[in-house]
Amino acid sequence: MNQPSEAPEPLPLAGLMVLDVSSFIAGPAAAVTLADFGADVIKIEPPGEGDPHRQNYRSPNYPRAEKQVNFPWQLDGRLKRSLALDLKNESARAVFKRLVGRADVMIVNFPTPARERLNLRWEDIEPINPRLVYCSLTGYGESGPDRDRPGFDVSAYFGRSGILDAARYEGGPPGLSLPAQGDRATAMTLVAAILLGLRRRDRTGKGGWVGTSLYANGVWANGTSAAGALVGARLPPRQSPDKPRNALTNLYRTRDDRWLQLLMVRDDRLWAPFCRLIGREDLLADPRFADREERKSRAAELFKELAPIFALRTYAEWERVFAGTGIPFGVIERLGDVVEDEQARHAGIFSDTTNPEVPRTVNNPIRLGFATPRTAGPPPSVGQHSAEILRELAYSDAEIAALKKTGALG
Amino acid sequence: MAESSLPLAGLRVLDVSSFIAAPAAAVVLGDWGADVIKIEGPDGDPNRTIMNDSGNYPKAEVNYPWQMDSRNKRSLVLDLKKSQARAALDRLITTSDILICNFPPPVRDKLRLTYEAVKAVNPGLIYASLTGYGETGPDRDRPGFDATAYFARSGLLDAQRYEGGPPGVPGPAQGDRATAMTLVSSILIALVHRMKTGEGSWVGTSLLGNGLWSCGVIAQAALVGAFLPPRPPPDRPRSALGNIYRTSDDRWLQLTIVREDKVWGSLCAALGRPDLVDDPRFAGLQERRTNSAPLAAILREAFAARDCAYWSKALAAQEITFGVISRPQDVPDDPQATACGAIVETAIPGMPRTLSNPVRLSFAEQRVARPAPALGQHSEEILREAGFSAHDIAELRASGAIR
Repeated sequence: MNQPSEAPEPLPLAGLMVLDVSSFIAGPAAAVTLADFGADVIKIEPPGEGDPHRQNYRSPNYPRAEKQVNFPWQLDGRLKRSLALDLKNESARAVFKRLVGRADVMIVNFPTPARERLNLRWEDIEPINPRLVYCSLTGYGESGPDRDRPGFDVSAYFGRSGILDAARYEGGPPGLSLPAQGDRATAMTLVAAILLGLRRRDRTGKGGWVGTSLYANGVWANGTSAAGALVGARLPPRQSPDKPRNALTNLYRTRDDRWLQLLMVRDDRLWAPFCRLIGREDLLADPRFADREERKSRAAELFKELAPIFALRTYAEWERVFAGTGIPFGVIERLGDVVEDEQARHAGIFSDTTNPEVPRTVNNPIRLGFATPRTAGPPPSVGQHSAEILRELAYSDAEIAALKKTGALG
Repeated sequence: MAESSLPLAGLRVLDVSSFIAAPAAAVVLGDWGADVIKIEGPDGDPNRTIMNDSGNYPKAEVNYPWQMDSRNKRSLVLDLKKSQARAALDRLITTSDILICNFPPPVRDKLRLTYEAVKAVNPGLIYASLTGYGETGPDRDRPGFDATAYFARSGLLDAQRYEGGPPGVPGPAQGDRATAMTLVSSILIALVHRMKTGEGSWVGTSLLGNGLWSCGVIAQAALVGAFLPPRPPPDRPRSALGNIYRTSDDRWLQLTIVREDKVWGSLCAALGRPDLVDDPRFAGLQERRTNSAPLAAILREAFAARDCAYWSKALAAQEITFGVISRPQDVPDDPQATACGAIVETAIPGMPRTLSNPVRLSFAEQRVARPAPALGQHSEEILREAGFSAHDIAELRASGAIR
């Protein structure tokens, strides 16, 4: 298995055994984060094809890499060991029970009917290991009319929560989400849920069920609009950049066809320095824009003043004008530039791997002063560690061979 | 203050942060039992007035964003630029477990609120840092908001557009709230570390890092030189079975069929077009991809013929994965939103329901939200708990250090 290498002291989650009985992205990405910080993660997959996420790089909504590099699997399978186990097979069940008996955490994302069929509900697992933290991910929750419905992030996190409806310009089609965007945000909630379960176990000796749903995470991310909706307030449709509701929090096109994002929320304090910086001190004396209220109610007029000014210079020039002034601004960055962004390196966002296919990867966003995430190597092939893991569970070579023969083990 | 059975009961959190991502993390800790003290300057957290200050917030009588981001906190007003106030904060730091800070680094230096400075006061303290762009580097001092740091700088908004259209639109605080869960996870890992070693620590995250993590698939693709071509509009999808369709009542249905080999037949049945199964243009995965435009045209016409309720039933009957693009106003009345625990009742007059944080635990319920504090509502109570005498407090008040 992958041992922590460069860490100055044991990683904070070293010694934890995690069973990743999940597929696709949110559950597996939570398991990756636990592995990044030292947990021994065993991915339990069906023999043969394994996790269907292994095939996602062929999806038409995924970028196509040269030489067919399976980058999404590399990202979500890193630092795991693979055990190919057919949970529908009776003799696999005995192996699984033995693993559960030794594990600390188990992550499950099967829809509820499949959990019942496979005896994978918490009430099935608790008698085997009452100290286990059982972490459940669903699309829509554990009860209610849609609990059995398979959920994906584009439907459960983005569509159902109202995010996509809100993410549109007036009159346009709903907004777009990116592959697995909500899944990966949800993974951080799963990590928090698991850690709360472990904390409770440390204090009481008891494991327990913890979990979250894609839907709840979408609503949480969309919380400001959702909290507004709860009191009957509705977000007006977003006007396109040339008809802003507030000209000081808007997009402006620069001379080199980039989009500069102006985000002057505190325009009480920043209005005067802003006018000076853009060379329009005259606006300070303009009674139309004397205070915040007027600047907001005359957003269209203010936009007409500002748009031609922003179009005079390139984004790089504007960056020099605003740098260090406290005026919040940004650019609509292109991903091709991001991977070379010096600041991204400083923020610890990308790291080198020992995997020649994918020399750099995306770190999980948690930074710790006392530990660095493990270096990623190549993710496992289906069942790559089946025999090794069973030997650790005291299965003999003959037993392992017999299990392989029945198809229970891949 | 805190119910003892909750997993974070007994922990004291100093929320020395403003706006949304970091305060929302403090809310989550409070939901699970921590005693959260919000430390604000004399003007208060600007998030108190953001509903009216920002043109992008729905307006309401009740200050719902502030209620949501401050529930179950106590407010202490300290003017940290005054030395007496800064000294009072040190006294609170000695009896606290966690400090959450989102000041830009130069302000931390000025206020002696760097990790090094507070560690000297309480080595067992967990210091959780939120920045826009990280702790070092050319942009470390730059104020970061979620629209800039999480969405724009990460490449998310550029990727979230239809071919030829303007950049995508983030919802208010959408990236902030997702980032809050990362900050919570980092704090919980630090608690594991403290339990093992007895030591406090620095932990943190950045909005930029969270934006890139959430678009990790395409960021990882970019790292190997692969890029998503601009998304064609809904009438020219790359895959007709992974596309959105308008129904007769002007709602949008989302098909998200991942393993289409298994459900192609059921989809044709749901559409009432069993003939399509034998249509050679759509015989296999490859054919359906190649002919995605004609297939999308057929689907567009079919879906436009009936309303959303009809299609919801028809697709569910065939076990086809789909979603309806909800409008935010649909969420409060969605029974599933309550079933999954997203919407809960409060003890706040004028705001009977709110959003729970998305973590669910079988062994504990989140605290019921009570009204967010008025500015400085608990200043006196908190200082008395920290051992300040009535005389000390009166002096601090007279100097303007507290309110």
